[in-house]
Formats: sequence, C-alpha cells, structure tokens
Amino acid sequence: MIEVQGVGRVFERGGHQEPFVALDDVTLTIQDQEFMSLIGPSGCGKTTLLRMIGGLIKPSSGRISIDGNPVKGPGPDRAIVFQNFLLLPWANVLSNVSFGLEARGRRRKEVRELALDAIARVGLTGFEKNYPHELSGGMQQRVGLARALAVSPKILLMDEPFASVDAQTRQILQEDLLRVWRGTKTTIVFVTHSMEEAVYLSDRIAVFSRSPGQIAEVIDVQIPRPREDSARKTSEFTDLTGHIWEQLRWAVEEDQHIERAAANE
Amino acid sequence: MTSTLSRVPSWALVLASLAFGAIVWETVGQLGFSLIFPPLSDVMSTVYEVWTSERFRDALTNTLTTLAIGWPLSVGLGLIVGTLMGRFKVVEWALDIYVNVFLSIPLIATIPIILLLFGLGRPSIIVIVFMATFFQVVINTSSGVRAVAAQYDEMARSFGANEFQRMVRITIPGALPLMLTGIRIATGRCVRAVIFAEQIISVIGLGGLLQSYGGALRVEETWAIIIAIAIIGLTSMEIVRYLEGVMLRVFPQGHQISGA
Repeated sequence: MIEVQGVGRVFERGGHQEPFVALDDVTLTIQDQEFMSLIGPSGCGKTTLLRMIGGLIKPSSGRISIDGNPVKGPGPDRAIVFQNFLLLPWANVLSNVSFGLEARGRRRKEVRELALDAIARVGLTGFEKNYPHELSGGMQQRVGLARALAVSPKILLMDEPFASVDAQTRQILQEDLLRVWRGTKTTIVFVTHSMEEAVYLSDRIAVFSRSPGQIAEVIDVQIPRPREDSARKTSEFTDLTGHIWEQLRWAVEEDQHIERAAANE
Repeated sequence: MTSTLSRVPSWALVLASLAFGAIVWETVGQLGFSLIFPPLSDVMSTVYEVWTSERFRDALTNTLTTLAIGWPLSVGLGLIVGTLMGRFKVVEWALDIYVNVFLSIPLIATIPIILLLFGLGRPSIIVIVFMATFFQVVINTSSGVRAVAAQYDEMARSFGANEFQRMVRITIPGALPLMLTGIRIATGRCVRAVIFAEQIISVIGLGGLLQSYGGALRVEETWAIIIAIAIIGLTSMEIVRYLEGVMLRVFPQGHQISGA
C-alpha cells in the first residue's frame, strides 16, 4: 500500500523568482495490485508525485510511505518506465533489459533468464540483439517496460509512457499492458494526460488541478475487467471521459482566469 | 563529376594524388630553382640510404620508444582526470583553471622550465609530450562526460545502480564520441611534440637527426627524415581513426537524448 500524506513539493527557481509550488498538501492512498492513474493539465505536479514515490526526489513537506515504511530513495520494490524511454543507445535490447537486474547484483545466468523472460512478455522475442535506434518508438517503450518488469517490482511507476508514440500503437500498447499486468498483479501508478487512456486502464483515477498542484477528485472506474477494445465504446466509458474533461476544463479555465487577472494588474 | 569520383576506391584517389605531388616535386627539382628542393628521385635514393643506416634506426627506435611511453601516459591520465572533472563538480572547480591555463600558454614558453627541471634527455621530452597531449584529452573527455544527459543517470539511480555501474554503463559509453575525438587530436599533437622536443634537445631521436642533417645543410637527408616523420604521423592517426570506428560500432550512439 502506498500512502501519500499531506505531501507538498516546492521547486526553487533561479534569480529573484518566487519558488514554484508543484504540489500542495496531496493525500492519496493506493492499494496493493491497484491500477491508479494520475491525470491533470501539464504543470499540475503529477509527474513530480510519481518521482517522489519512486524516491528520485524528496517531498518538501508531508510523507510518503510504502507498506508503512517511509520512502527514502529508489528501492528494489519499485521500477520506473520513463516517458522518453531512456534506453541506452549503445546497448542492445537484451543488455538494456538486463540493466536493472545487473544494477541489483543478480547473478549472470539469472540476469539472462529473467531478461529473456521479460522480453518475451512484452512480445519482443527475436529482437534481443537489436539496438534501440533500430526499433520503432512503440517497440522502444516495450523495451522500457521489459526493463522494469524484469526486476519484478511490487510497484510499477509509469510516467506518461505512451505519450510519444502514435495513436494506433498506443492502443495496442495499452491492451498489452493490461495483459501483462493481469499476469503479474503489480501495483501500477500511471501518469497520463490522456483521459481515454486513464479510463481504459485504471481502477481509480486521481484528477489533478494545478497552481498549486492538488487532487481535485478521485474517480472509481467501474468498467468490468478484462476490458476489451470494445469497452472504449460503452456509455460508461464516454460518461467518465466526459466527467474528467469537465474537471480538467474547470482547472484549465480557472488557470487562464488567474493568468488574465495577473496580466491586468 | 562527384558521382564518377565516388565510384573510384579512395585508396586509388590517394595514390593518384601522391603521384601528382611526386611529379610536381620531380619537375620543380629538375628545373633547379633551389638547393632546398632537390629532385624527388635524388631524395628517394637518399631515403633508402638514410633509412637503412644504423644512425637512423637508433633514432627511430628512440622516438618510437618515447611515443610508446608518452602517448599512453598522457591519454590514459587525460581520460581519468577528464572523466572525474566531468563527473564531479569539486574536481572541476579545483582543476578547470589549470587545464585552461595550460591549454592557452604556448608549449614553447614552458620549455626552459621543463629543461631545467628534467634535464636534456628523454624525461624532458616525455614531459613536453604530456603537456601537448594530456590537457587536450582532459578538456574533450570532461565535456563529453558532461554532455551525457542527466536523465540517464536518474534512470540508473531508479534501478539502484551504484556510482561505478553508472560510470561504466552510462557515463563512459555516452562520452565516447567526444573522448575519441580528443584522443585523435591529441595523437597528432603527440607526434608533433615528440619531434619538436627532440629538435630542441638536438641529440635524441628523429628530431635530433633532423637538426643535425639540417644544420649540416644535407638537404636530401633532411627530406628523408621529414618523410619518415610524416609516415609515423599518418600511420598513428590512421590507427587511432580505425580504433575510433571500432569503438563506435561496439557502442553505437543512436539518437542519444541530449542535455547538460
């Protein structure tokens, strides 16, 4: 269980600018094996929260704990899938997927076995010797996913993982992610700015507003699993995306209002 | 025009260019403008004589030995210091000013001091080679290391990689293109510096031989030595260029995410 309690994060800005409040007093509990999406306008602090759960940055206030233990840094219970993949260009697929296992000091034979298994799970068997620049964006992110899955994390943190692939590939990746998740039952925290993606994938969705970043609402997605592609056409699906849009629109319009007021001063 | 040329193997073009140069040289020499340009045919027969002489072989062995000590020493230390400077702010702050100072003062200005400190022998030559080579490698390596995007480091940290693993898997392969360029530039400087230093000291190696033939106005012999030096320079550059290609095939750079 991930517990986020009253978490805030302030970034110092250069010169004489005011510090930027990325997150302010956010409280959220994510259950084991839950698929939780964080959605919101850009600058709302959703990625900041993900990075804090990942232990890459520290909260300025409040606390984050996993199964009761405060997060002090990255740990073997978590793995991150990055928006721009961050595959090593000089390493082939097998070597990239092995990275996390090697970093954790697993034995050579074990590393190979687990890496090959993860590659198979994301459907990249046969591409082990290929280099990232030889793969499409969608395939590169499969490698990124395999690298994270290979270390068998309890929690998978995904930072807009499908934002830089085309729409069709994106749908396939979403379906494959759900299939992989059914097989592993990890907890997934998934940052996205796509409402359809959030509704299709998630058990719950935390909708953020910005300036400062706060959770406006947490939505339960009741659409039954396993979700087929046809789930995207049900009235529940369109109702939920419509509802989230109302939330986001409100946040965006409010922001624009504040900006306009500031400009008039 | 370009399309016709591009179908000819590059070695053939090089040979053609050399042949043309040789013809020009021979013609100018035969016309007898100047004692400094004897005909190439005269030079070539002297080349054979000089290159087979014991005096030349001793000088060549001497120069190559100095290179074999000076090059790996300066490049190796340059890579280590450059990597540390690129990686750790403290090291950069401490050393950056010295690197820039030594890169900006002309080598020749430091020579009196070096000779006083290390004497008229190989130690001084190696120090001069080091001065000409080391800082070049340092500056390229450190900027190469800094150019590797911090995001890779963050990825590595998220998987629990330690400093050593990050260095080996990310920093060094990522900095490779700039490091290798630095080594290539440094190699040219290294060969030039050896000859230059030997000329100053006058009695050692090919540079020393060059001084003694030049001083005695033995023009053909002087040319024979210059040609030998050119071959050493070209060969070492080609070897480094070849290794550079091999390294970049082993560690392809793809579209590395850039960032500082």
